[in-house]
Amino acid sequence: MKFNQIKLIACFLAMIFSPALSFGADNQQQLFKKANALYAKSQYKQAADAYQQILDAGYQSAGVYFNLGNAHYKQGELPDALLYYEKARRLAPGDDDINFNIRLANSKTVDKIDEVPEFFLSRWWKGFILSFSADKLATTAIILMLVGSALLIWYFFAIASGLKKFSFFSAIFFFFLAICTVTIAASQLSYFDSNKQAIVFTPSVNVKTSPADAVSTAFVLHEGTKVNVLGSNGGGWLKIKLANGNEGWIKTADVKAI
Amino acid sequence: MKIKYCILTLILFITGRVFAQDARFVASASQTTVSTGEQFQLTFSINADGSNFNPPDLSDFQLLGGPNVSNSMEFINGKATASSSVSYILAPTRVGTFIIGPATVVVNGKKISSNSIKMTVLKRRTGQPNNNTGGGGAGTQANTGSTDLSKLLFLRAEIDKNNVYQGQPVTVTYRIYTRVDILQSQINKLPDLTGFWNEDVKMTQPAQFRVETYKGQRYNVADIKQTILFPEHAGNITIDPFEMTFIARVQTTPRDFMDQFFGGNVQEVNYPAKSLPVVIHVKPLPQAGKPAGFSGAVGKFNIEATVDKDHLKANEALNYKIKISGSGNIKLLKDLNPNFPTDFEKYDPKITDTVTETANGVSGSRIYNYLVIPRHKGDYTIDPVSFSYFNPATGKYVTLSTGSFKIKVEKGINENNVTALSGDQEDVKLLNKDIRYIKTGDSDLRAEGDRFFGSAGFYLLLLLGPIVCVAAFLVRNQIRRNNADVVRVKSRRAGKIAARHLTNANKELQANNTQAFYEAVFKGLYGYLSNKLNIAYADLDRENIAGTLRAKLAKEETIGELLDTLDLCEMARYAPVTHISAKQVFEKAKGAINAIEDEI
Repeated sequence: MKFNQIKLIACFLAMIFSPALSFGADNQQQLFKKANALYAKSQYKQAADAYQQILDAGYQSAGVYFNLGNAHYKQGELPDALLYYEKARRLAPGDDDINFNIRLANSKTVDKIDEVPEFFLSRWWKGFILSFSADKLATTAIILMLVGSALLIWYFFAIASGLKKFSFFSAIFFFFLAICTVTIAASQLSYFDSNKQAIVFTPSVNVKTSPADAVSTAFVLHEGTKVNVLGSNGGGWLKIKLANGNEGWIKTADVKAI
Repeated sequence: MKIKYCILTLILFITGRVFAQDARFVASASQTTVSTGEQFQLTFSINADGSNFNPPDLSDFQLLGGPNVSNSMEFINGKATASSSVSYILAPTRVGTFIIGPATVVVNGKKISSNSIKMTVLKRRTGQPNNNTGGGGAGTQANTGSTDLSKLLFLRAEIDKNNVYQGQPVTVTYRIYTRVDILQSQINKLPDLTGFWNEDVKMTQPAQFRVETYKGQRYNVADIKQTILFPEHAGNITIDPFEMTFIARVQTTPRDFMDQFFGGNVQEVNYPAKSLPVVIHVKPLPQAGKPAGFSGAVGKFNIEATVDKDHLKANEALNYKIKISGSGNIKLLKDLNPNFPTDFEKYDPKITDTVTETANGVSGSRIYNYLVIPRHKGDYTIDPVSFSYFNPATGKYVTLSTGSFKIKVEKGINENNVTALSGDQEDVKLLNKDIRYIKTGDSDLRAEGDRFFGSAGFYLLLLLGPIVCVAAFLVRNQIRRNNADVVRVKSRRAGKIAARHLTNANKELQANNTQAFYEAVFKGLYGYLSNKLNIAYADLDRENIAGTLRAKLAKEETIGELLDTLDLCEMARYAPVTHISAKQVFEKAKGAINAIEDEI
């Protein structure tokens, strides 16, 4: 009976991981290497095209987005660079390189926006939940779960009472850690889901006080500025909010969603 | 009689004292009843040396001349008498009775006042004889014939129209009309023109006389000054009189033969002249149809806007020029506030006026030159500027509009470093920094939307541990249940142990190793019994075994058989056994065990 169980699990595992090992991904991997080589030779335009092909084929990774962002940056296309950096950050929030390049590219945009200072706990929490990618957290949770289970099984079969105690409490501890990890991954996803952001692509755009062309301009934004999208009126206008708290309406065509 | 002389002498002395010591200050008028326009002389005389003369208020009369001061000194019998007088030539302006108040003067430290005079002014009678012959002591510039002079020499402020709209220009011309020779002229007072914004017309040459007919008379006319007025508010606005003083040469009727002979019938007259006030009726601009952006322009205008280029790089300057030309209150035009794209840096306009003022009004052009600097790349539109004015000729508002301009701004050279917004960002520090290099390792490529977290595989793997735990728990419980009764377990295991020992023994038997064979059989039996009967190995002996087996209801012959076999084995370990073969011992032992298994 026990053997049968193991066989079943092995079948599941094979089923789960088989798509990732398919030939398509292999091809894209080659393309990725080729693009990296082009980038190394400073052929940024061609490199960007190659990265774009990978994305067009329906594959993505933090690395591809990051490298594509770099290629755009090198061509002086700041808004594109920022868009792809931000996309990369969604996949790998804690990546130092990505965050560094975002900061650097942001310092070259026209609009300097002072962020409203956040309550330190909420800032810490955000930094905490964004420190690892969701998938990494998922793997960690599984490992923690397995270790916890092993300890619990040990507890079931151990005879000496000292060992029993130790294995029981450490099993509880590992299960707790696993649940925490899953919670963090889930809140990270919900954070990205609820925080819809976009990058301004028009060199200079008037942000209106209400969704109409004729009304007065609330403020002017320039390309490369990141805005939080609060909602849409369904008629080609988005309600946006800046990091400094200002709100206004912008045309959908002027921005690209991250 | 004697008394009479005494009194007379006394009176003489007294009057003598009065004459000698009391200063007399007397006011007198040449006539106390005058008609309007007629002049009279008012004299204040004092028979002492006075100072600080303070004339009365003469505002009811027009001051034509004076004050003229005359002093005289007399020596009579070695006694000096000084007298002085101040005289004014006045003309009444209004009909009525006026009191000329006392004048004061200080004599020997004492302030004394003159008498006051009551003047009666009658309405001027036409054809009144010129009765200024008695003109008491006026000098060479006697103000003779001023009644006639007002017809011969006068000022007029002429306006080209007196019913205008607010902001519509009115030309006012100050003119001298004269039929006498003017020797000298002086402008005393110009109207201050409150209620108007004015613009003087520049006279190309000094005033020249020309002949003009006015009210059937021919006059020499000269324009002194021309001003264009722009009424600032609605209502009746009065232009105050304009005042000048002339010295004119006037012919007088000869008084006698000598006068006629020597040409003495010409007099030089000091004549102050004043124009009549002029009222201009200013209509407010109509409210109906007033455009929203109207800012008070009245006249007739044209507007035109130009840009010097429509294609430029960011941070380059662009000149946007609006030219308003036409006639009207050009200088009063307000700024136009063209609507530049918010991203343009805008500077205050440079305003250039090219305006000529003529008697027909003000015309010319005003140029607003806006300097703007686009700071960012993009396609921009400069919205049309609309300009409204009121045309008084048609009485309607007109709104003009310029064209709109499309401006294409290319990317500038240093666009990011010049922006005014990023002044305090640390650009310089970052210039030598570069982005981090690309990620070259194996990229964990995934199909889009294929996230491990949340997938079925993730949940299965996550649940794998707990499932295994549950399984392990169940297995352990099963094991526990089986192991619950130790004796039963042991007795169940006894047969197996015995079988193992007997198999061993069988092996030794095959190898003809008799010693080891008996050893194995003995151990097999003892081990079997120890487990089966739950007796510790040390306590196993013949009596114990037999007793326990009997208690467990084994048959007596089975017990005997077993004990026999045990004895045989024990014996065979120390001495060779001959009466029974090893094979038979093995069979016996097997039989004994099987028998016990059957029975217990």
